[in-house]
Amino acid sequence: MFIVDYIKDIYGAIRSLLVGMNRTGYYFTHHKEIITQNYPENRLELNLPERFRGEVVMTHDENNEHACTGCSACELACPNGTIKIINKFDISPEGKKKKAIDTFVYHLELCTMCNLCVDACPTGAIKMAQTFEHSVYNRGLLTKQLNKPGSKLKAGVE
Amino acid sequence: MFSLESITTIVQNWLTKTFSPNLALFFEFVIVGVLAIALFAALGLVLVLMERKVAAWIQIRLGPNRVGPKGILQSLADTVKLIMKEGLTPDGSDKFLFNLAPFIVMMVAMLALAPIGFSKGFHIWDINIGVLYVSAISSVSVIGILMAGWASNNKYSLLGAMRSGAQMVSYELSVGLCILSIIVLTGSLSLNDIVLSQQNGWWLFKGHIPAIISFVIFIIAVTAETNRAPFDLSEAESELTAGFHTEYSGMKFALFFLAEYINIFIVCAIGATLFLGGWMPFHLGTWEGFNHIMDYIPSFIWFFGKTFFLIFVIMWFRWTFPRLRVDQLLNLEWKYLLPISMVNLVIMTLVAIQGWHF
Amino acid sequence: MSASSIIFYIIAAFILATGILAVTTRKIFRASIWLLFSLIGVASLYFWMQLEFLAAVQIIVYVGGIVVLIIFSIFLTIKSGEEMPKPILMRSIFSALAVIFGTAFMVRLISQYNFKAGSEGTFVLRINDIGTQMLDTKNYGYLLPFELISILLLAAMIGCIVIAIKQKEQPTTIS
Repeated sequence: MFIVDYIKDIYGAIRSLLVGMNRTGYYFTHHKEIITQNYPENRLELNLPERFRGEVVMTHDENNEHACTGCSACELACPNGTIKIINKFDISPEGKKKKAIDTFVYHLELCTMCNLCVDACPTGAIKMAQTFEHSVYNRGLLTKQLNKPGSKLKAGVE
Repeated sequence: MFSLESITTIVQNWLTKTFSPNLALFFEFVIVGVLAIALFAALGLVLVLMERKVAAWIQIRLGPNRVGPKGILQSLADTVKLIMKEGLTPDGSDKFLFNLAPFIVMMVAMLALAPIGFSKGFHIWDINIGVLYVSAISSVSVIGILMAGWASNNKYSLLGAMRSGAQMVSYELSVGLCILSIIVLTGSLSLNDIVLSQQNGWWLFKGHIPAIISFVIFIIAVTAETNRAPFDLSEAESELTAGFHTEYSGMKFALFFLAEYINIFIVCAIGATLFLGGWMPFHLGTWEGFNHIMDYIPSFIWFFGKTFFLIFVIMWFRWTFPRLRVDQLLNLEWKYLLPISMVNLVIMTLVAIQGWHF
Repeated sequence: MSASSIIFYIIAAFILATGILAVTTRKIFRASIWLLFSLIGVASLYFWMQLEFLAAVQIIVYVGGIVVLIIFSIFLTIKSGEEMPKPILMRSIFSALAVIFGTAFMVRLISQYNFKAGSEGTFVLRINDIGTQMLDTKNYGYLLPFELISILLLAAMIGCIVIAIKQKEQPTTIS
């Protein structure tokens, strides 16, 4: 019946409005659980959420070894050409030629922190770091080389 | 006990004793004007800060907290910034109407302040048709908005102005009917008489369920009439950049901004007067002891407390609900609010005739 | 001259000036705005006469209702921003003559009628009286004219809907 539907409509509308206002009213009265931070003041003890993505870095262990094989899966996965991998060929002690990275070029100014390269990496060589104070005076400084000079591939990573 | 009425009597007696009647009237004129402008400036600063703080706390943020202790000087800093900015008049606009529109909106907001009783015996003009006067004056402010939208010579402004016009014209009806349902009980249009008729309890409690229904509809409809979210179609940021004040900058924009907050204050003051007893303290029937304790709180604190409570409710709406579409907006008014408030008015008339209210 | 009559002349000059601007301006939107100011001037004249109810109704009906409708219809016209063409000479002459004759007629009428000075001091209007007289069937009540006007408005609204209603599309015959 029309009039019953009409009243049901009004009842449902008022109920849903009250549910919404109850939620925001709860937030209003419990303003101790603030999620924003006083950034420049608490710079030393910043508490960033786990999934915050600041920039791509390559992990190196204490022997200055990384896990990047130079397969360029990350380069293919990147939607806007942020990563450029330059390969070289190492001569192994047995005299065989072996592919290895020369330079892992990372353009921070192009990166959108989409995490696709990290997902694409088969060996887990790169990850997202939580640094975010990226401003510099020269645009050229944003083009970074991720593998440290003199680093080499970890033994056992193919 | 401290009251504003005694101060006004002292000032008036001194003026009439010292000067000739015409000169005394002129000085009263000046004092009232200065007070009204000071109230406007203070309200603008307080309400903008309050809105930002309420928004922040509802969204689990801190809000402005840099300028001054706890950020209380933030809106002052914003005002200084707006004064320093250049007021642009776009090429191809109708320059005269473009510059006139913010002043029309502001003047309307100022005129509507006249009959509101801020405290016992403290109002600018105790006109005998107070409520009708306020609704008449506030219907002029739509002209200012239409003028601003048309004179800007900008498609967003024009669309925003047309939406705002349709919205204000339709929601005025339910506001009028809700006001009428209280007028039926009091039998007077004067705001002072309406306050005095709530000596033994507020109409919200004395008028049974019809009073509560008309209070709810009143709050919804005035939210729409002041163009605030969730009814802010005339300045919907995501669709029309800023609606009718897209082209305004500097102090002219600030006048629109200020007028919006003044209008909220005025409609909330009217709502507080009609339903919550204005400056009348919280009285319960014939409990003399309880009523005496309540009388110790000055009446202007009661008035501003109630008004700011209603303003807070309207801000709470704004930061909770998403914006309506145009068709939903008009459906809400013409299919729900208007029929309900009409039926409600009939029931209220029955209550008033039979004397069922307390 | 007392302060009250000075205020009266200021209001009267305002009404006349805005009225003349409303008919002489060549931008249609500005004409409607000048008309609005003229109507507000009339309302302030009512306030000056202490007929607050009439003044408020004047503002609600004319300013909040009719001028807003006029502005809406101007928005819907195409060339609302451009200057209108100058009226032809004959038309201006005839309208000037109409104005002169109308004024002469009114002046004649007003000068013939000898106004009596009001015997009562201030005229207090009570809202209850207005309500009672509006819904009264006898004693010069206004119920019948009120209802007649509402039927007229209803007829006008139905007429508008009939004009604006969408015609059902004629089935196009495909040979």
